[in-house]
Amino acid sequence: MADLTCNLGKITLKNPVMTASGTFGYGYEYNQYYDISQLGAVVVKGICLAPSPGNPTPRVAEVSGGMLNAIGLQGPGVDAFLHGEHYLPFLRSVNATVFVNIWGKTVEEYGEVAARLDAESSGIAALEINISCPNVKAGGVAFGTNLKLAHEVVSLVRSRTNLPIITKLSPNVTCIADFARAVVDAGSDMVSLINTIPGLSIDIETRKCRIANRTGGLSGPALKPIAVRMVNEVARAVSIPIIGMGGIMTGEDAIEFFLAGASAIAVGTANFVDPYAAPKVIASIDAYLDRHRIRSIAEIVGKLEQ
Amino acid sequence: MMKNGEIIENQRLKGDYFKVRFYAPQICETARAGQFVHVRITPRGDRILRRPFSIYNCENDALEVVYKVVGGGTKELSELSPGNVCNLLGPLGVSFSDPLPGVIPVLVAGGYGAAATYLLTKQVSQRGIFLIGARSKSDVLLTDEYQKEKYEVRVATDDGSEGHCGFVTDLVAQLLKEKPDEKFFFYGCGPHPMLMALAKLLRANRQKGELSIDHLMCCGIGACFACVVKVKADTLPGWTFARACVDGPVFNLDSVYVE
Repeated sequence: MADLTCNLGKITLKNPVMTASGTFGYGYEYNQYYDISQLGAVVVKGICLAPSPGNPTPRVAEVSGGMLNAIGLQGPGVDAFLHGEHYLPFLRSVNATVFVNIWGKTVEEYGEVAARLDAESSGIAALEINISCPNVKAGGVAFGTNLKLAHEVVSLVRSRTNLPIITKLSPNVTCIADFARAVVDAGSDMVSLINTIPGLSIDIETRKCRIANRTGGLSGPALKPIAVRMVNEVARAVSIPIIGMGGIMTGEDAIEFFLAGASAIAVGTANFVDPYAAPKVIASIDAYLDRHRIRSIAEIVGKLEQ
Repeated sequence: MMKNGEIIENQRLKGDYFKVRFYAPQICETARAGQFVHVRITPRGDRILRRPFSIYNCENDALEVVYKVVGGGTKELSELSPGNVCNLLGPLGVSFSDPLPGVIPVLVAGGYGAAATYLLTKQVSQRGIFLIGARSKSDVLLTDEYQKEKYEVRVATDDGSEGHCGFVTDLVAQLLKEKPDEKFFFYGCGPHPMLMALAKLLRANRQKGELSIDHLMCCGIGACFACVVKVKADTLPGWTFARACVDGPVFNLDSVYVE
């Protein structure tokens, strides 16, 4: 048994495997299959100020090696998350390590959600900021594709909470390393990447988009080489911990991310294919380390040979 | 639960319609009418997502699914042979409820929606009526099986090639007219427009029932919010999105939101 303990600055996790926001609900659903406290962290589906109905359907389309989704961040809102029985109170009751993913339609909303969570933060280990959603006050430009806006969101969240902050970077930029530097400058303790990449899939019989929202975020194994490349670019640019994700289906996929420079990883779309995907990835990372006589996961982080 | 299910039999019923039997004793033990099984057709490859199928029947440890080849995934399934194995997640979702004593179950199917209601014939003690509507004679399925279970069968086709020329809702209206004093409980499964028309008709006639409604599904266990359908709610627009996989696929007629 290798030592899977994972140090992410102020936080220490049992192991480096977490769930990608939006692919694991609020943990409740998967706890019926296994004890979710064995995960490094449960990253819950995005939380904003008010309940959000999400997009019209169809919301997903399968594509080669992955899927497109445009769920539209359907969610219960921060109040229900803090007090509803299937949300944070449940996660506390099973002793899960919880990262809360947050989003807003304006810069101010991000600050407000962070403050609300900070005020009742028992059971919350960190906040992950989704900066890939559109700013309604600036014509729908995603916060995460504009350096100034990204900096502004993270700075405001930083000023409203003492919880560790992870900024989830958007891959839809020319130089992702610039964004990593900007959010570190704004006070982000970590970065996670990558979010999905917008795609379009067309039904050639009806000549219509297969998703009601027209475009959807591409996820799944098709994404992995792009994600590994971006993790490596960010690892060369900043020295804070990186949480890598994008198409991880197996432990072997996860090892690629560690070698590229990620200190921890998240399992996303694989949860939809196999509800046991995340614990299987943990077991398989452990087996890889044993096979190579590596004592701890930290020994391989960023050890890509030149 | 998640189990590997070996294929015992995989045969064409007619046209693009097939029936596959998996050896799945544990899933069969708890499966109820209206529930579904989420099938991983290939362990590796291009298509990574599972496919949800209504549980058609459970007999002698075999779980049966009736499906139509509609795309790449179901085509692949139709090419599998006895001895091949699929990973099965199930039984999932909310099941149909039993009718009260003295109430006649009326099963209303659109096309291969007929597969979702069959288990009721085994589960429910009273005999009832099976109404099926389909595009054409070649899409009318499973009528012999319902007849064998002593259900009265009535058929409607859009083109009049079998039974009444028209919609299955015409058969429902006719039944209500024929037997105005009978107590019925309706079970519906089929394409969305058919279910909405059925909901309107049943409500207008103050009938009770349940509809199996689904949408393109992804995780099947309530986590991804892909398969949502509109249900009545105390919100400004009067509805909210509920997950077909865990809040459904069976919804009470009273909670279904009709636009």
